[in-house]
Amino acid sequence: MAARLSGGGGFVIYLAAAAVLVFVLAPLVVVVALSFSTANLAIFPPVGFTTAWYEDVIANEDFRNAFMVSVALALASTLASFAIGVPAAYALNRWDVPGARVVEAVLLSPFILPVLIIGLALLQFMAMMRMRDAATNLFIGHVLVTLPYLVRTVTASLKQVDRSLEEAALTLGAPPWRVFTKVTVPQIVPGIAAGCLFSFMVSFDEFPISFWLANAETMPLPIFLQNSMTKIFDPSIAAMASLMILTGILAVIGLEKLVGLRRAMSI
Amino acid sequence: MTSSALETGGLVAKGAPFPRSAVGVALLLPALVFLIVFLVLPSLILLGYSALTQSQAGDISLPLTFASYERLIFSAAYRRVVILTLRVAFLTSLFTALLAYPAAMVIAYGKPVFSRITMILVVAPLVVSVIVRTYGWQLLLGNSATGGLNWLLHALGAGPTPVRVMYSEWAVVIASVHVFLPLMVLPLSASLGRINPSLNEAARMLGAPAWRAFLRVTLPLSMPGLVAGLTIVFSLTAGSYVTPQMVGGTRGLMLGVLLEQQINTAFDWPMAAAIAAVMVTIALVANVGVGWLSERHAAARLRRSGAR
Repeated sequence: MAARLSGGGGFVIYLAAAAVLVFVLAPLVVVVALSFSTANLAIFPPVGFTTAWYEDVIANEDFRNAFMVSVALALASTLASFAIGVPAAYALNRWDVPGARVVEAVLLSPFILPVLIIGLALLQFMAMMRMRDAATNLFIGHVLVTLPYLVRTVTASLKQVDRSLEEAALTLGAPPWRVFTKVTVPQIVPGIAAGCLFSFMVSFDEFPISFWLANAETMPLPIFLQNSMTKIFDPSIAAMASLMILTGILAVIGLEKLVGLRRAMSI
Repeated sequence: MTSSALETGGLVAKGAPFPRSAVGVALLLPALVFLIVFLVLPSLILLGYSALTQSQAGDISLPLTFASYERLIFSAAYRRVVILTLRVAFLTSLFTALLAYPAAMVIAYGKPVFSRITMILVVAPLVVSVIVRTYGWQLLLGNSATGGLNWLLHALGAGPTPVRVMYSEWAVVIASVHVFLPLMVLPLSASLGRINPSLNEAARMLGAPAWRAFLRVTLPLSMPGLVAGLTIVFSLTAGSYVTPQMVGGTRGLMLGVLLEQQINTAFDWPMAAAIAAVMVTIALVANVGVGWLSERHAAARLRRSGAR
């Protein structure tokens, strides 16, 4: 579309948008800036320049454990959401299923329900069922929050697929699974990849569910970070936070490369 | 969808002999069973707890009672938290919308390079943990002279500690606006992008100044995106925990934090369950209610235009 912001009005809008971007970036820039400060407290103004806090953090075994827990959890829950979410989205969008609208509402309901409450309900349920393994419980909780992302991205990709190609393949006698693998899948792969990457980040950053289900042995990174905040006030917290920001930036670059952000986000 | 689906008895396409919709159900089943077991069932059990009685020893059982709900609604202290939660959610969605418009307009109408930069910078925080972002606000809003904002204002010539925002309702609003801004910008820019540009051009050519064309043409036509954004921001803010916990303090105490205190400090499960029920109700009313209203609105408009 041709650029339509011009003249004085356009300038005002550009200026306002620039101010909004300053607001968006300020808290992240501040965290990164203080992570290099040589002061012993994470306070303003940052002084000097040191990477010592990063060395501290990386040398910290508990941090490394928490990081690995988060990566494993994000991989496992994304994989599981993929395994059950892709068939579900395909069924909802291509097959005649009774009660499809209700089923879809249930599948997407973790978007609407407060996540803190999903976590609490799970905690209580796990206690009743005597499920005491924190890793399993966290995995189940994380699948609950990542699944709707997969369902939504795959649904959006399926809606963009050229249906006449599928119909042509069916009319020419291809069995449905073949239509799916040869015609549909190639068209939705970028969407699925974007959905998986997004689901990975959602799990990696997840707090309110892990908060209820984690324990001292199995502690994901956001919980570890919050625990450390109550005990430590030096810039090593800012260094940990900066490493999480870095992970996020890598994910955004990945999304932009995979499908382009605009498409990934319109999903 | 349904008519052609009936013909094929399964996959929604025309003219193929096909297995019945059992295949569709089988594909759905794993996800559906998972959600029923680990989401629907636990939620219903939690809801049930809100109407049970907790003994001195901590056992939770019958008789059924609405005592927790009564306390939540009639006790002034609890009611204040409910009202504060709704107010913070309202203010957050309002300010998020105000900040989102210029960014969404640059994304939808700006020069490609600015549009892309704005898109990336707005979306990037979405993949940074809320913990990290709120930590950034803790550093910025700190009430002492070493908080970012106070330090900056002091350097610009204001008094030693000019602002005291941290641990208040406003701190929660500011940080929440930051957390949820992308979720407003995205639907809004999509909505703006769908507006036919010639409508705006027509208004300008007929002599409307830019601001007037915006108010009378662009703003009303961007309503679907705005409503979607307001709904999601309102319900997520009302249900949030991390941000009020980290920057709210006692003056910014919201329902999520109150719920956590009931579990971890007061050990009052029925009360926590009642709070949960209220939070879920707020989220459902915001989402389902707004969806229903806008459908009715669209239907009414369709009828009106049909009558003409």
